[in-house]
Amino acid sequence: MSEAEIIEKLKSGSEPAFKQLVENYQKLVVNTCFGMVHNKHDAEDIAQDVFIEVYRSIHKFRADAKLSTWLYRIAVNRSLNFIRDNKKRKWFQSFEDSVETKTKALQNLAATKSDHPGFQLENQQRAVLLHEAIAALPKNQKVAFTLSKYEDLSYSEIAEVMDLSVSSVESLLHRAKKNLQKKLYRCYKKKCL
Amino acid sequence: MNCKTLHKELIFFLEGDLPLEKREQLEAHLNECPDCAAFAADMKKTLQVTEDEKSTEVNPFFYTRVKAKLENSETQHIGIFEKVFLRKVLQPVFFSILLIIGVYSGIKIGQPTPVNVFSSTQFDQETVPYLNEMETESIETFLME
Repeated sequence: MSEAEIIEKLKSGSEPAFKQLVENYQKLVVNTCFGMVHNKHDAEDIAQDVFIEVYRSIHKFRADAKLSTWLYRIAVNRSLNFIRDNKKRKWFQSFEDSVETKTKALQNLAATKSDHPGFQLENQQRAVLLHEAIAALPKNQKVAFTLSKYEDLSYSEIAEVMDLSVSSVESLLHRAKKNLQKKLYRCYKKKCL
Repeated sequence: MNCKTLHKELIFFLEGDLPLEKREQLEAHLNECPDCAAFAADMKKTLQVTEDEKSTEVNPFFYTRVKAKLENSETQHIGIFEKVFLRKVLQPVFFSILLIIGVYSGIKIGQPTPVNVFSSTQFDQETVPYLNEMETESIETFLME
């Protein structure tokens, strides 16, 4: 089934078309959400909501746009909303809770990657360090970096998703990388790992 | 090329964003400086994390979960009007009425009870007529007994 066929059938409420859509784009959406929230379970939850939103608002989809671009946009917006709500919740959390959350994040990483032969404690710590550095980036830099690193999108594709010019995306990625480097160097100096 | 310049450019070097000339300069410095080489190796490992994290496997139950969530949200969607009505209309009305009753009863309790002077004097006149005990029974007769 082609993309156009899927969209047409989805507009008439076809369930097999929806199944096909989920199967085709599941990896894309989950990966994008994971790049933003850095937790597999949360990423899958958000991805499920993305597909539900697509199912409900498929009639709003313009035929001239690419379906993947639309999916990226919804996934990014949903993930940013999730991060915002999580921040609000964390603001009310005590110190103990935040320590517990960090331990859980480490356990989560260990659980998801325990079957990976090279994935050991050092790698887990590296992952937590990188996630924190990415999470600390300004919103637009975070989105551009995630789409570039986790989805390997080109500058023009990122520009299309973010509704920006290619030069703006270049600048965003340049600043994101600079900020990450600063944070990682500071941590290297302090011997965080 | 010194260490400070390398620290500024390293991430772009590792990501392959630098022009050939600059890349060669950085490579030359990395061969000479063990400290920078160690930092470069550490940074490379950290950036590699994103490559390892890219999911290649597909959750086989994903579609089933999406479908279940969709059906669940549809049933919830029907009752959403009732929920909104309950939360946005009935609750405020109920608490407003409760507040008004509270204020009213507070005012009522706080008010002094008005004494009906007319009726009370009438009552006194009717039930307790003036009685001159001294006339009825004088103290002398009382003591004599």
